[in-house]
Amino acid sequence: MVRMVGRIKSSSLMRIGSFLLATALLVTGCGNSPTTASGKKAIKVGIVDTYTGGAAVYAQDSLDGFKLAAKEIAAKGGPEIDIVTRDDEFKPDKATSWAKELVMRDQVDFLAGTTNSAGSLAVSQYAKENKVPFIDWGGMSDKVTGAAGHRYVFSTIPNTAIIGKAGAVQISKTPYKKIWLAGSDYEYGHSVIDNLWSNLKKIEPDVQKTGETWWQVGETDFTPYINAIRSKKPDLLVVGTGGADMVAFMKAVKATGLAQEIPVWVHTSIDPATLRPLGDQAPTGVLGTNPYLSSYPDTAANKAFVSAFKKEYNREPAAFALYGYMAGQFLGQAVEKAGSTDKEKIIDALEGLSIDTPVGKATLRKEDHQVAIPMIYGTIGKTDGKIAPIDLHTLSPDEIMPSIDDIQKARAKK
Amino acid sequence: MDIATLSSQLLIGLSRGMIFFIVAAGLTLIFGVLRITNFAHGSLYMLGAFAAYSVSTSLGHGHYGFWLALLVAPITVMILSLIIERGLLRFIYNRDHLTQMLLTYSLVLIAGDAVKIIWGSEYKSINIPEGLRGSISIWGASLPLYNAFLLLIGPLVALGLWLFLSKTHLGKICRATATDREMVDILGINSTRVFALVFALGGWLAGLGGTLIAPTTTVSMGMDANILIYAFLIVVIGGLGNIWGTLISSIIIGMGEAIGVLLIPSVSIILPYMIAGILLIFRPSGLLKSVW
Repeated sequence: MVRMVGRIKSSSLMRIGSFLLATALLVTGCGNSPTTASGKKAIKVGIVDTYTGGAAVYAQDSLDGFKLAAKEIAAKGGPEIDIVTRDDEFKPDKATSWAKELVMRDQVDFLAGTTNSAGSLAVSQYAKENKVPFIDWGGMSDKVTGAAGHRYVFSTIPNTAIIGKAGAVQISKTPYKKIWLAGSDYEYGHSVIDNLWSNLKKIEPDVQKTGETWWQVGETDFTPYINAIRSKKPDLLVVGTGGADMVAFMKAVKATGLAQEIPVWVHTSIDPATLRPLGDQAPTGVLGTNPYLSSYPDTAANKAFVSAFKKEYNREPAAFALYGYMAGQFLGQAVEKAGSTDKEKIIDALEGLSIDTPVGKATLRKEDHQVAIPMIYGTIGKTDGKIAPIDLHTLSPDEIMPSIDDIQKARAKK
Repeated sequence: MDIATLSSQLLIGLSRGMIFFIVAAGLTLIFGVLRITNFAHGSLYMLGAFAAYSVSTSLGHGHYGFWLALLVAPITVMILSLIIERGLLRFIYNRDHLTQMLLTYSLVLIAGDAVKIIWGSEYKSINIPEGLRGSISIWGASLPLYNAFLLLIGPLVALGLWLFLSKTHLGKICRATATDREMVDILGINSTRVFALVFALGGWLAGLGGTLIAPTTTVSMGMDANILIYAFLIVVIGGLGNIWGTLISSIIIGMGEAIGVLLIPSVSIILPYMIAGILLIFRPSGLLKSVW
């Protein structure tokens, strides 16, 4: 009904709008097929991501990372990458319709995005049906390159299967046996916890689940949940949450003093995106894994990436900047390797491609097109009296990637 | 499970109910007097939290930041509500409910985007003020000090509202307007001015709720939708427009949820809705008398 009223009132506005749009298209010369200075055809990438709303932080990071990579590749005389962006407003149906339009009208060669996992799966399905390659750098669902994977989808973001396995490895290095599982009641929360628990049981068969708690996304007061879990006295509380819930949960952990009594594990608890809003109210002692930190590892490659990103955008790169950056580097280097802009040849070149990245060697696995990068793990602590991630270690990709067997089984089942 | 855990859980639930009450009281007041379904109530709550963030960080996360925010942020939201009422709502009082819903719903969308433009989409957080950190022990039950503070504020607000509605001239007009608007008009009382006042008061309560919740949670977009569902649920259970019904149902929902989390965590998410369903089966018009 909202729409109907709007349509009647805005019909004249729309006429003016479409006229302006047509003029703008003529002026910018949209529709010409882009060619580079050297005469080679540029690769055109259509990006569908969430540029408005709460998730816009991530989409902006990955876009900037991707742009940086495209710039670096072009500067080295490599293939030129053209970018078109569309806002999916965190809606899967919008993501698909933009993807269609980008492919049919803007004739993009590649698709990329989307922070919404359901959006990634929807675009991936479209990519499969229409044989347009899609690079997922935002959706963390393990289905993208797992059960629902195919030839035309690639992922440059560590998914929930990897996160869960990395968490299991970190927890297996601790003496804790009685585990309480908890999280936000949505796909990401459940997927991280399911993967973590199944991997932990494999590594340490004697762990016990003491119970489970799930809260709704957007919960404002975690005290009742924490109080209830505390009374059951588990050895360790494992939590699958993210976004706004993450900061709110960590505040409650601090306010109730839970971490001093029962250790807590949360993925990305040591990330600056979590620690910055918390300030000195971050609960020390909380364990966590993290795919990327601009301060660790202290290698030349990471430092170079951080300073290049800072110079371009005047802020520190976060994990999503790395995912976008890797996508750009993989694509650029694959085009060079293929020596062609033919999509099928680029896909062949991408399969199993290894490149140097700020976090070391990254490989797009041939079998499932999932990026394999190391994972950091550590604890929230204090250095020089200030809250910071401490006790940092790195897990190699071999330790944390889901086995090819499992992927193939999941795909066969489908 | 021991008595201490149970009683501390009950106290935490009660403090949660206090926030629900403060926000829902504003909604039910507007419902009762203006007869408007104010979808933007959650947005006013969110704006209160963001305003509190701005005020308290302008003092550099210091000791007094939160206390100043507690004073300033609800008043800011109240002024904004007054502008909304005088500038928009007063033109649609005689229109049908659908128009009113569309208008207040459009305010939800505008507020959502405005928040993003003004404050950006990064997550924000206010620290719990220094004096209210840590926990206290009440008869062996441990309770975070901030929750204890909420347990103090809630009854104060309820008392203030009761004094206003039953002891002041203006409050009596409010109640009269809620019961029979035509009669009030016939008596020569300017009821639209009463509407402006009630809407501003409702906005102040929403802003207060947002300010009070801010230190325990993340100040972020989307917090408007979450509270709105609870507020509507509570207002409906309590009886539309009845403040005391709202108080009772806030406490039932807050405590019911906390006990659910402790005893049957697997169904705790749907527990408030189950409570609402069961209560409405037995009392379809709400716990106390609805003014509608």
